[in-house]
Amino acid sequence: MKLDRRTLLGTGLASLALFAAPAAMAEPGAWSGEPVRIVVTFPPGGTSDLVARLLAKHLDSDFGQKAVVDNRPGAAGTVAADYVAQQAADGTTLILSNNAPFTIAPTRFKSIPYEPIDGFAHIAYIGASAPGLFVQPSLGITTVDEYVAHAKETELTYGSSGVGSISHILGEAVDATLGVESIHVPYQGSSPAIQDFRAGVLDTFYDMAVQNSDMIEDKEAVAIAIASPERNPELPDVPTFREQGHDIVIENWVGLSGPAGMDPDMVTTIHDTVLAVFANPEVQTRLTELGITHRAMSTEDYTSFVAEQIDIWAPLIISAGIAE
Amino acid sequence: MDILASFGQGLLVVLEPQNLMYCFIGVFLGTFIGVLPGIGSMAAIAMILPLTFYLDPTPALVMIAAVFYGAEYGGSTASILMNVPGTPAASITAIEGYQLAKKGRAGVALFSTATASFGGAMIGMVVIAVLSPSLAQLALSFGPADYFAVILLGLIAASAVSNGGALKGIAMVVTGLMLGTIGIDLTTGDLRFTMGIPELRDGVHIVVVAMGLFGVSELIASIRANTGGKATQTIDYNEFYPSKEEWKSLFGPILRGGTIGSFFGALPGTGQTIAAAIAYAVEKRVSPQRKKFGTGVVPGVAVPEAANNSATQTAFIPTLTLGVPGSPPMAIVIGALMIYGITPGPRLLVEEPDMFWGLVASFLVGNIMLLILNVPLIGMWVRLLKIPYKIMYPTIIVLICMGVYSLNNNVFDVWLTLVIGAVGYVMRLFRFEPAPLLLGFVLGPLMEEQLRRTMLLSRGDPMVFLERPISATLIAITVGILVVALYSTAQNRRRARATAKNPQQEGTQA
Repeated sequence: MKLDRRTLLGTGLASLALFAAPAAMAEPGAWSGEPVRIVVTFPPGGTSDLVARLLAKHLDSDFGQKAVVDNRPGAAGTVAADYVAQQAADGTTLILSNNAPFTIAPTRFKSIPYEPIDGFAHIAYIGASAPGLFVQPSLGITTVDEYVAHAKETELTYGSSGVGSISHILGEAVDATLGVESIHVPYQGSSPAIQDFRAGVLDTFYDMAVQNSDMIEDKEAVAIAIASPERNPELPDVPTFREQGHDIVIENWVGLSGPAGMDPDMVTTIHDTVLAVFANPEVQTRLTELGITHRAMSTEDYTSFVAEQIDIWAPLIISAGIAE
Repeated sequence: MDILASFGQGLLVVLEPQNLMYCFIGVFLGTFIGVLPGIGSMAAIAMILPLTFYLDPTPALVMIAAVFYGAEYGGSTASILMNVPGTPAASITAIEGYQLAKKGRAGVALFSTATASFGGAMIGMVVIAVLSPSLAQLALSFGPADYFAVILLGLIAASAVSNGGALKGIAMVVTGLMLGTIGIDLTTGDLRFTMGIPELRDGVHIVVVAMGLFGVSELIASIRANTGGKATQTIDYNEFYPSKEEWKSLFGPILRGGTIGSFFGALPGTGQTIAAAIAYAVEKRVSPQRKKFGTGVVPGVAVPEAANNSATQTAFIPTLTLGVPGSPPMAIVIGALMIYGITPGPRLLVEEPDMFWGLVASFLVGNIMLLILNVPLIGMWVRLLKIPYKIMYPTIIVLICMGVYSLNNNVFDVWLTLVIGAVGYVMRLFRFEPAPLLLGFVLGPLMEEQLRRTMLLSRGDPMVFLERPISATLIAITVGILVVALYSTAQNRRRARATAKNPQQEGTQA
């Protein structure tokens, strides 16, 4: 943790330096020697931020490439994306791409100041974590079918991390797929929602599954389903929606992207370096702890993955009623 | 015994060199900013906030807290020597303090305030250590309705006890509430009052509003009011220690001030200023020296200082155990903790015991540091008042801008701060107080969020507020306060009318 904080300390200075320095001349396909800035769409502390810091740390320790994390939260990730799209495409400014600015915002907002696909070079996929449905143990529900039966009898309340968050979109998708209606209670982030769940005022909540493994162990909550395609190795006892006969897959993915117009050799260098970082067993262990399942993907595949994700999420966002 | 053991554990945490160092930086910076007229703890906290992003949560929290209470110590120095309160709460101290200074007893006044501040802070610390665990236990079962009732109680209590200019006060609270609605509506996701500006989607940051109102506008006002280096009072070190009788007369006020301060500090909405004002008003009635109040008496400087320092400590009770900021600086504390992924609330004590008890123990350590900084080293602070403002103020403006920029790495926030500062200065000219605005801004959105959440959960049935025992009790207390406040306002008005009819009676009233 010490190293991370110190890296952070550099952020401000490094970003100043980057503003001041003209785009440094460098060989094509290699970093110029300047520190790389990884822009994160969220404030420090979240999963995205931790992944970015993990990457930054190992870019330095494994490849000698200095990297700093630059948190630019705001407006559901669009502030950061807009900012990165306007930076020099020299490989020194990258963004930890995720659902918020790239798959949710394009459908949710009337207009966004950037092109989610053409405005960026989507370089490398990192991995994804999946949310799950948690219910009060006192309700005696353990499967999705029991949940449906109960929800049809009495309207249940569910807490989410906020309007337009992945947990909200999943909640609405579950309602629509299962043909039930429940009351959405939005919070600012998952921890106040969990606090109210613990106080007994919420019947259920949706949140990233692995992060709440303690609650499952302590029997404070029952995780009846996870929205990943397969079970998560960290939670072998939590079944997926799919295996219970309901095709609901919603994942919170992260990857690395840069501004459009990057040199193809530079893209290859970054892609290969990032993949090498995430092949490191130490890094993989950390990712697993964060609940993220890593998968290697080529640059082309990642670009089409992002485009597909926009299409997959669009109907969910529209049916959740959060599109402007 | 449990509390003592936990406190001991906290003491070990705070005695780690790193935490000790940040505690010292905090109290030093706090005193520094507090001594400067016009700029209070809000400005100090906003300035060091960027620094805390690079620390671990415990030293960060310890440092922010230290700045906060350090500023209250420093605030009294300028108010005694120059009759210019360094912080709003110190304006009460100025009443007696400046009189004492005029009598050539500035040293005694400064010594008494430092002692009283320490005494008050210790009372506050004991209250926090004793009350927090049980309050947190109780709060584990708090639902949105209960949170709403707590905030309502705080806001009503704050407006009931703040005197004078009620209409302007309410106008400012409402302005604050309105500013707080800017951004994404948390319940529906709709944008409110963003006027197409993407930077406003997430609302206006508390630091931006606070720095505009309390940093920039205060600076503009100070530039007009002071030309600098006016600390004409010199301290006679032979006259530094209070006489034996004065020593004895300190204890009562410290005890009373500390108790009153603890109560109003812990109540969300009322803060140090209200605590100091009420403690002074009470002391004026019960003190053995009550007849001499207004002419410069030691209990008169001790009581507000004890009150505002104990309130400063107990403001952490609702902040950390409920996640409800007791005062605007506490909203920054919550924001700072959120950066580390720590959500203040009933589980904080269980999940972060080292941090919580480290903080409580740091109150003891920090206040001892402050005692050293403010008694033997008082001369240094007095000299600080002689630094020309033309050097001091531009430096502070730069620091404020840096602090604001670092929030989101966004220049928009800097401009917004300057605009709010300019507007704030104009409001000040027309005697609109910025404090109620900030209070509305901080508590309004929280209250709205909890209200709407309650309504969602109860399926639209407002009776839920009376069905839950905690919220029902709190609402009953709120109604009680409201009735008493309205009754006494009506009485005052009747009395004022009577006085207006018979002006010769005025003398006996005062």
